[in-house]
Amino acid sequence: MEKVEKVKKDLLKKLETLEDKRQILRAPELRSLYAEIPKLPPEQRAAVGKAINDLKEQLEDHLSKSEDTATAKPPIDISAPFGINSQFPEMLPTENGSIHPITREMQIISDIFYRMGFEVSGSREIDDEYHMFTSLNFPEGHPARDDYDTFITTEGFIAPAHTSTMQNRVLRSRKEQLVQGRPIAVLAMDRVFRNEDLDARHEHTFTQHEGIYVGRDITVGNLVATLKLFLTTYYEKDIQVKITPFYFPFTEPSFEFSLSCPFCTDGRNCKVCSSERWIELLGCGMIHPNVLEMSGIDPKKYSGFAWGGGVERLVMMKFDIEDVRHFNSGKLEFLRQFK
Amino acid sequence: MKVSLHLAQEYSNIDLIKTPTDELVKLATERLGGVEGYNDFTNRYDKIVIVKIISCVQHPNADKLTVCLVDDASITPEVKRDKNGYVQVVCGAPNVRVGMLAVWIPPGASVPATFEDDEPFVLGSKELRGTVSNGMLASAKELDLSEDVSGLLEINPNQDNVKPGMLLNKLPGVHDVVIDIENKMFTHRPDCFGQLGVARELAGIQGLPFESPKWYFKPENLPGATGKLSVKVKNEIQDLVPRYTAIVLENVMVRPSPLWMQIALRRLGIRSINNVVDTTNFMMALTAQPLHAFDYDKIAKGDEATIIVRKPKEGEKLHLLDGKTIEPHQDAALICNEDGPIALGGIMGGGNSEVDENTTRIVLECATFDMYNIRRTSMHHGLFTDAVTRFNKGQPAAQLLPVLHKTVKDFVALNGASVASEIADSHPKISKPKTVTIGVDFINKRLGSDLTFDEIATILSNVELGVKVTSDTLEVSPPFWRTDIEIPEDIVEEVGRLHGFNNLPITLPTRDITPVYPDHLLKLEQQIREVLSRAGANEVLTYSFVHGNLLQKVGQDPNDAYQLRNALSPDLQYYRMSLVPSLLERIHPNTKVGYNQFALFEMGKIHRKSAGLTDEKVPQEADVLALVHADTAKTTNMAYYMAKRTLDFLAESLQLHLEYEPVTGAELKGHPYFDANRTAWVKFRGADLTLGLIGEYQPQVTKALKLPEKCAGFEVSLNRLLEGTLFHSSAAYKPISKYPSSSQDITLKIASSVSYGQLFRELINVLESSDYIWQLSPLGIYQKEDDTHKNVSFHLTLASYDHTLKTSEVSEVISSLSDQARKILKAEKV
Repeated sequence: MEKVEKVKKDLLKKLETLEDKRQILRAPELRSLYAEIPKLPPEQRAAVGKAINDLKEQLEDHLSKSEDTATAKPPIDISAPFGINSQFPEMLPTENGSIHPITREMQIISDIFYRMGFEVSGSREIDDEYHMFTSLNFPEGHPARDDYDTFITTEGFIAPAHTSTMQNRVLRSRKEQLVQGRPIAVLAMDRVFRNEDLDARHEHTFTQHEGIYVGRDITVGNLVATLKLFLTTYYEKDIQVKITPFYFPFTEPSFEFSLSCPFCTDGRNCKVCSSERWIELLGCGMIHPNVLEMSGIDPKKYSGFAWGGGVERLVMMKFDIEDVRHFNSGKLEFLRQFK
Repeated sequence: MKVSLHLAQEYSNIDLIKTPTDELVKLATERLGGVEGYNDFTNRYDKIVIVKIISCVQHPNADKLTVCLVDDASITPEVKRDKNGYVQVVCGAPNVRVGMLAVWIPPGASVPATFEDDEPFVLGSKELRGTVSNGMLASAKELDLSEDVSGLLEINPNQDNVKPGMLLNKLPGVHDVVIDIENKMFTHRPDCFGQLGVARELAGIQGLPFESPKWYFKPENLPGATGKLSVKVKNEIQDLVPRYTAIVLENVMVRPSPLWMQIALRRLGIRSINNVVDTTNFMMALTAQPLHAFDYDKIAKGDEATIIVRKPKEGEKLHLLDGKTIEPHQDAALICNEDGPIALGGIMGGGNSEVDENTTRIVLECATFDMYNIRRTSMHHGLFTDAVTRFNKGQPAAQLLPVLHKTVKDFVALNGASVASEIADSHPKISKPKTVTIGVDFINKRLGSDLTFDEIATILSNVELGVKVTSDTLEVSPPFWRTDIEIPEDIVEEVGRLHGFNNLPITLPTRDITPVYPDHLLKLEQQIREVLSRAGANEVLTYSFVHGNLLQKVGQDPNDAYQLRNALSPDLQYYRMSLVPSLLERIHPNTKVGYNQFALFEMGKIHRKSAGLTDEKVPQEADVLALVHADTAKTTNMAYYMAKRTLDFLAESLQLHLEYEPVTGAELKGHPYFDANRTAWVKFRGADLTLGLIGEYQPQVTKALKLPEKCAGFEVSLNRLLEGTLFHSSAAYKPISKYPSSSQDITLKIASSVSYGQLFRELINVLESSDYIWQLSPLGIYQKEDDTHKNVSFHLTLASYDHTLKTSEVSEVISSLSDQARKILKAEKV
């Protein structure tokens, strides 16, 4: 025990002279102390072992304190425009700046719908089962819930797998508008999440634009015409569109919406449409009467349509981006290409 | 869901496939939906022919090879023949023998199993150990007809028309087109998980009237029971198992299924096991109703089998067919005999009651299970079988007897079995589909169409929906398999779909000219994006979830973060509580590849448990803007001032004025990555409203994330910033004076403990109370080492609206500034 005390004194002294202070933890004195434990009478071993460990901890404590003070920066006058004896800082060159291609595309999309008379809003990133499923006519335990690989928190909150989580909120808060004779037209655009493994074509995090339109005598033809108008405006050229039947619990009927490839004329060697000429773009349909009813809207009086589509897809097609993972990579090499 | 056009046609009353395949697939895509693609087997078997083995001789140079002469009735051109017209083929299969009918792939034809490869294997005439083999004799696997590789596929000669020289694709089912439709598409259509259901749709989309086989409507007559056995069913959970039927068959001989059935199952992606299992699976593939066969002798006591349908008992275990032993979910529908469980109902049979090669008597089960309970149990055990895929869509109880009777007849006809018991039918109560009353007007209004009564009635009755026309409405009564039709909208879908949605006229909705208003927050975000990119910063997006390691590196408490419990990726553990760590994490990967000076910013949502819940009882979300500035150069200003310069520039662009106030370490509890010595609260000037924090980072954080020395940034609340732009912004414009302005510099010496901000505020107060047009900008802050005082210099520009200022007037203002500074802050003019 006395030996431990002695080593402690020696090492603390040595610590002050050392250049690389971390070396103290590998000091031969410490090692020889440990080596002596087996030679001690068994009843003493535990106590001595503990004393040596304590010593080591104390040394580490000293180390981290001295490191902190060594690297801790002195206070500055945070109200000043620049430091003492320095210049007014230069801003970064404007030509280095960039806007993310996804947010830029979101702006382009929302501008078009805004001009068409749609309000634009965001959506939530953490939500509950009611908004993710129940309010969208997915009964408890319904197999359609399996098609959405949702992230769930320990409390049971859900990371929305679609922006349709906003449907109930959007409709409920605007139902008075209908009574006044004005339709509800809203575009909700934000991040959504699917519990998937990442690869060049699959992301667990992506962006959706969700359109909701409710009024009197709204038809399937209205849905198709609205989306077609959006696409011809977006691509600034004539676009052919078609719908094919699909199934979603929250729309009836439900469709998959395709457009004629805007990037080729004959499909020859087209990477975007794989020479198919048609591109499946989004899911849509006539809002299910149960969804309207759960939002306090009378489905006998009003009908409407909704759609949900990905923004990444549009951007990737536009710029021929090969890997969806670039978007969230934070790589300047990628970002600075989008001035 | 795979659909065989051959089978669909086989069970149809009309010609479904006279339409060319391409067109039919296109029509299915447009009117049925979810078609992922199709597999055309039409050309796969070209030239492949059934032959008779005429002779077999041991290969002179190889023990395991046989040299055969085969007879193809001389139909194959351009192949070398002997004087009798037979062809020599070398074969390695153990079962080759004289007289058998086998399948020969002649030279020039390709091996069907390699048909989809990049380079299909095309046969020729080649020497095998010195003896020429013309083409090959094939196994079922090589022909892509079953999994069997044990020997040559032997063709049963006792079938219609089978003889040497017949092309293989004349056998039923060889020649086929298989369409693959997404399962998701049929989540609400239990009937479409059977070939019969899809056949009906294929008729409907072509405008053809479909009639289901009679046996599907009305149970066929069964031969009377010849045996003296019986089966009893005690159903204790009728809410979870609405109906359970069973029958005993005897004289069953377990053996491989006939070739046509093996082919059919293979085309549909179902593994062939033996004739008993295959017969039940084939019926499932046809009608979507799963069946199960138990070995009677493994579950019965003497002349009677008792089946008890119940929930599991405490601690009860079940050994399944796939070899696993499970402790069934507490609500599972367990199929048992008196001794214990024999199957996990609707999901998988038990190993203890499995049909094997010695089985001669079986209990055939045909039952209905509650779809939600099936889904719950299958998810709980991770068991996803073909039966689950069908039961969890909700199969109707009404189809049990038709399907059971048909299956029994198949057993009798195909497998020589005989009926040994009466049918046990527990709880034969069947809910009838609802009749839906709908106006033609309603349909046309929703579709925007102009269809007549008659057109609609034909469309619906083509797929066997009952239609009764009254004065101005249709009464639609769905058949028992259409459990999806409940409300008028379902009829709208049906009419639109079968008519062709793309045939509907398209028109834009009309609305009045009431303007819509922009979302203020989104507008602000867009402004910020433009300003910051102008300031040379780069907008990034980073994930909303972070790894626990990152929280640890920046010192954040994971207990305040919402944790994901099921993420596949280990990187996604927590909802982030701040955007800063995500941005800091992106710095090193960029400096590493040579970017020396940059700023990253992001706008996004953050979540903390301590922020509580909203009125909707979901977590509070906050929208924030974060920016980090990184600089690997040694010469420039301190990082903090770089970040501040950017934030002030942003504020000015939004016509806001900010102030910076010191923080204490304790105040940084939620933002432990900031260094209190170099961090400030950001506030609006003149309003007690905190926006956020700006500062440099803790040395440990700098080290852990390999940040450059010069690194600083800010995180501010977007909602507060919005509040600022709405209520605290000041119009920037001041009228321009006709008279020239004058400038003068002023340097004040103050104690180093007095902040620049304090001094600046005092000077501004003086200027604001004057009538001049003024501008005060900092020039420099000088301090000698170890000095207790510093010199702060400003550049003052003054002008008046009504006259040209004299030098004395400017000097007067300068001295009033220094007077004020002296009075309040003990400053001296230098």
